[in-house]
Amino acid sequence: MQKHRKMIFLSLLVAFGIGLHIIENMIPIPFPVPGAKLGLANIISLLAVVIYGLKEGLIVSILRCIIGALLAGSFSSLLYSLSGAILSTLIMAFAYSYFKNIFSLAGISILGGVTHNFTQVTVASLTLSTFGLYIYLPFLMVIGLFTGLFTGLVANFVNQNLSTTLIKIGFLGEEKINHETKLS
Amino acid sequence: MITKGDKILIVSILLAALLIFTGFQVYGFADGKTYVLIEADGRIYQKVSLGEDGPNLKLTVPTAHGENIVEINGNKVRMLYADCPDEDCVRQGFISRSGQMIVCLPNRIVIKIESDKSAKDDVDAVSF
Repeated sequence: MQKHRKMIFLSLLVAFGIGLHIIENMIPIPFPVPGAKLGLANIISLLAVVIYGLKEGLIVSILRCIIGALLAGSFSSLLYSLSGAILSTLIMAFAYSYFKNIFSLAGISILGGVTHNFTQVTVASLTLSTFGLYIYLPFLMVIGLFTGLFTGLVANFVNQNLSTTLIKIGFLGEEKINHETKLS
Repeated sequence: MITKGDKILIVSILLAALLIFTGFQVYGFADGKTYVLIEADGRIYQKVSLGEDGPNLKLTVPTAHGENIVEINGNKVRMLYADCPDEDCVRQGFISRSGQMIVCLPNRIVIKIESDKSAKDDVDAVSF
């Protein structure tokens, strides 16, 4: 039963991620930097990492990227978003499991956002075989910092309410009460 | 909600971005062969390849508005003389990196350095 509940919740997360991905594509970005975006779907990856763990976070972000690219995107955008999502989820899961006393969810999300942008620039340089693209890296790092801060704060608010609700309706065991809810 | 670790992280990322940015500004890129493009009145007047063993010459660029002398020295270019009153272009000195340019507004002369890879560098947001 718990297994099926988990599957349903993960597929809900994927669906939310795809929705955010599509909405995000409609929002214009005021920066003339290629690759800059809000990264709203990062909220979902972060939530999956926080609530379940690394494996589930990876499942959610990979599925979200593939289906999102099929609905709104191209093959090249799939390449960038998939590589960025996998690496940033890995980094966020690592930071969450080892440094959650040092960083809040905002800090972990900032790490994820900056990693995502760094991976994107690297993949783009490799596919276009010009390392001149790294000139965008400082701008993308600063943009990733602020979008990561924003998505981290959102994830924090969602997580505070979601964890208690999930335990109440029996989606999660008591042992999964997370430190964020205790802190705040 | 934002911990001390977060603040340290934010500051260090900002510093790293600043460091990379200044690094690029100071060192730039050395990719491909560069060439200098001299435009007068919006039309291409001369195109000269640059390099360590490049040409060492002084080019006179006459326009309807005045006369400028461009000095090309190996892989550096500068405006040696301009008969305009402000001479901003002369004071700018040598340029050598791809993407740099000297503009003489009164005489409508633009000196640009481009590399044969710079066409590829112009990645538009769609293909990215």
